[in-house]
Amino acid sequence: MLYWTYIAITVYLSAMIVIELFSEKDWKRQVAMGMLLLVFVLRILQIK
Amino acid sequence: MIPKHHITGAIVLLIFAVAGVLAAHDFISMWTPDKIYPSAALTEKRRLSDYFSDLKGTNADTDVLIFQGDRPGATVMLLGGTHPNEPAAFIAATVIAENIVVNAGRVIIVPQACASGFTCTDPFEGYPQSYTLDTKSGPRRFRFGSRVASPLDSWPDPLIYTHYPSGQRLSGFESRNLNRSYPGRPNGTFSERTAYGIMEILRQEQVDVAFDLHEAAPEIPIINAIVYHEKGEDIALAAVLDLEMLGMSYAPELSPTNFHGLSHREWGDATDVIPFLMETSNPIQGRLRGQTNAELVIEGVSPEYKEALESGALRIVYTPTGEPLKHRVGRHLQGFQALLNSYNMYHEDNPVEIEGLPSHQEIMDNGLGNYLH
Repeated sequence: MLYWTYIAITVYLSAMIVIELFSEKDWKRQVAMGMLLLVFVLRILQIK
Repeated sequence: MIPKHHITGAIVLLIFAVAGVLAAHDFISMWTPDKIYPSAALTEKRRLSDYFSDLKGTNADTDVLIFQGDRPGATVMLLGGTHPNEPAAFIAATVIAENIVVNAGRVIIVPQACASGFTCTDPFEGYPQSYTLDTKSGPRRFRFGSRVASPLDSWPDPLIYTHYPSGQRLSGFESRNLNRSYPGRPNGTFSERTAYGIMEILRQEQVDVAFDLHEAAPEIPIINAIVYHEKGEDIALAAVLDLEMLGMSYAPELSPTNFHGLSHREWGDATDVIPFLMETSNPIQGRLRGQTNAELVIEGVSPEYKEALESGALRIVYTPTGEPLKHRVGRHLQGFQALLNSYNMYHEDNPVEIEGLPSHQEIMDNGLGNYLH
């Protein structure tokens, strides 16, 4: 149960980051969000 | 008209999608098991899950190689890879598995005791994922893993890790450390279950003497040492004297009775086995190291440790020319053979007789790769 809670939180945060990424106007901040998203996606896929 | 920041956002996503695929490929490459080619003396290949079935299908399951001699004798177990970021331990176990001939008794080798730890590296350490050795069959790649089990197999870490059954408290990170998890329990954490599986080998195979190979940072006090349980004191001290005669210095260290979870304490307390643990000096684990790469794993040359040694300000074990992998593996092999000879001296009625293993000097002269498939 704890595992799926963790995955749900990570999926939710990833979705928030994607939404923020497309509403952000500063490309440097978009790059920072992209870096953050990469880590979350690898964790959701249980690769790292 | 598409807003400009949507276009840059899409470009950023695309770039990181490509980076993600490349990174994922790199990480997944660590899931491929290392190949080990046991000697012709191998009589049976089992898995840890054969001793504790709950481990079947998990990343805790690992090979258990059994070499049975023609004549009866003692049973020996040797673990490599308890800490997968200590490569001399894993490579020493591999060299033994690929060269050993057993004349009397039985030798059980678990080259990668913490198989899960070989699937990742420790965060923030900058460790290489692998290193390559030139061997008789050409270049062979070996994984350089994490000190502890992968967080993908054991998560989350508690804030405080309470050892079972002693109640000793350690940092939460240690809950994934196999060598803080003995004797383990069948319904415990991932590492406790792995430890329980190892304990089942000791019990089911009625092991007489067992070895756990390790490495440590040059600044750790217990280095180039043989750690022994009190019931193996005579054997350890006789072996240390024999090794001194060869010009090799090993510090005999008595296992503390109140430091729980470690192989040299729990194996000996919970079973009839006489356990030993050996350490070598490994610069890549140290806090003073500089560039952290596969060359440091193999050559063990660290200008930072040389400077620290020459400063005289620290008590460290470091040879000015470096601590190469072949030297560290050679030390483990020489120590293993000396301890077995010593064991035989005290157990003439139930010896274990082996041959085929190179000495420290032979490895230094001929190279490590000459003793690997």
